[in-house]
Amino acid sequence: MNDFPLGAACRVDTGVASVSVAEIPVGLDPEGVAVDSRRRRAYVACSRADYVAVVDLETNTVVAEVTVGSEPIDLAYDAETDRIFTADAHSDSVSVIDAETLELVATVPVGMYPSGLTADHASRRIYCGNSLGSTMSVLDLDTLETIATVEAEVGAGAIAFDPTRDLVVCVNFIAASATFVDTKTWEPVGRVDVGSGACAVGVVPERGDAFVVNSLAGTVSRVSLDDFTVQEELEVGRAPVGLTVAPARDRIYVSNRGAGTLSVLGVADRVQWAQLPVGEGPGGIAVDPADGRVYVANAGTGTLTVLEDRLAGAPAVPAVEERSPLIGEKLPAFSLVDFRTGEKRSSAEWAERKYIVNFFASW
Amino acid sequence: MILVDIWEGTDPGPEVERFCEMWGIEGTILLDPDASYAQQLGIRGVPTNVLVDSDGTVVDVGLVRIDELEAAVARLVDR
Repeated sequence: MNDFPLGAACRVDTGVASVSVAEIPVGLDPEGVAVDSRRRRAYVACSRADYVAVVDLETNTVVAEVTVGSEPIDLAYDAETDRIFTADAHSDSVSVIDAETLELVATVPVGMYPSGLTADHASRRIYCGNSLGSTMSVLDLDTLETIATVEAEVGAGAIAFDPTRDLVVCVNFIAASATFVDTKTWEPVGRVDVGSGACAVGVVPERGDAFVVNSLAGTVSRVSLDDFTVQEELEVGRAPVGLTVAPARDRIYVSNRGAGTLSVLGVADRVQWAQLPVGEGPGGIAVDPADGRVYVANAGTGTLTVLEDRLAGAPAVPAVEERSPLIGEKLPAFSLVDFRTGEKRSSAEWAERKYIVNFFASW
Repeated sequence: MILVDIWEGTDPGPEVERFCEMWGIEGTILLDPDASYAQQLGIRGVPTNVLVDSDGTVVDVGLVRIDELEAAVARLVDR
């Protein structure tokens, strides 16, 4: 995992901070990921392939592909019902898969462009953020009935819940905000502006903190669950998009889509302990509570990274992004097809000009 | 600015068209469907900006945040 090609735009020397276990090809544009500890499986929503990849974690291979709705983005697994759920953005629905038979058993209509999904196993609820519907659907995990549809804001997506405060937090990508919902009344009880491109959230109830990833602002906002105010902005890597709280609640993991890394942030000191190299264009993250292994879905490489986080705590030397070895070198010549004209364009056309090359993907 | 689309996995045409329409993107868009050029540069994520001086020298890489990019562009213009 640490053997990156010469010229890596961002490589962070992590020493023994992490050990790469595997990088498993899963399919096009993997996003949401969940772990089934009992079966030693991971489930990955491959959004451009419209299926869930079922990964055997003993052999590190995909053993099944279960077709769901169009563009499954987020995914959740419920051990009690033994079901896998996907939020299918282009189908405006949630697909439900039996994890034993690996058959699609139900399709539940939700709001427009569902993109976030979180299961509350104790309360037997599953929450779905509907980005273009600007709402959050609340489904019963057992009966699959819609219990409530709650007004959020445009770009509603990722969701986390705080059982100690009877609170759900829904972050709104386009509105750059977070909506707080009372789980007794299903009414919004507060909101807060966060950074632009808010797209992932996790909570640490015992500290009263919600952590919101702001992909365009490039930060993580720490928000009080008591008064719904932003307490501080935390530094992570470039274009952060995913977040998961570690089972021990001492750290959070943030995937940096622009850097190809996973930031480890201390919950108590709110310092970035390390940036661990993962695959290209990382997004969804899950942690196996059984062994602490971390799973990261990489949209660029179409892979699932499996790694062991070996950090005992904050390292003596804080994480620093390595300077790109490209800086100071001549840009390698290119000859690429122009999307609009279909003609080849070469770097010679831009000779003696100052310019920016912006690498992007549409997902 | 030259935009270079990578990592679509499928035919990039329709995906890029939809993306540009949604975000109102105009200007030059080049396709690097197998990301071989991006790989040559060691690009590991998107978005990534590469700033190039008039003599072809790379002066900055990364720069996703607007404030960072604006500052880097100002430095590039002043060089």
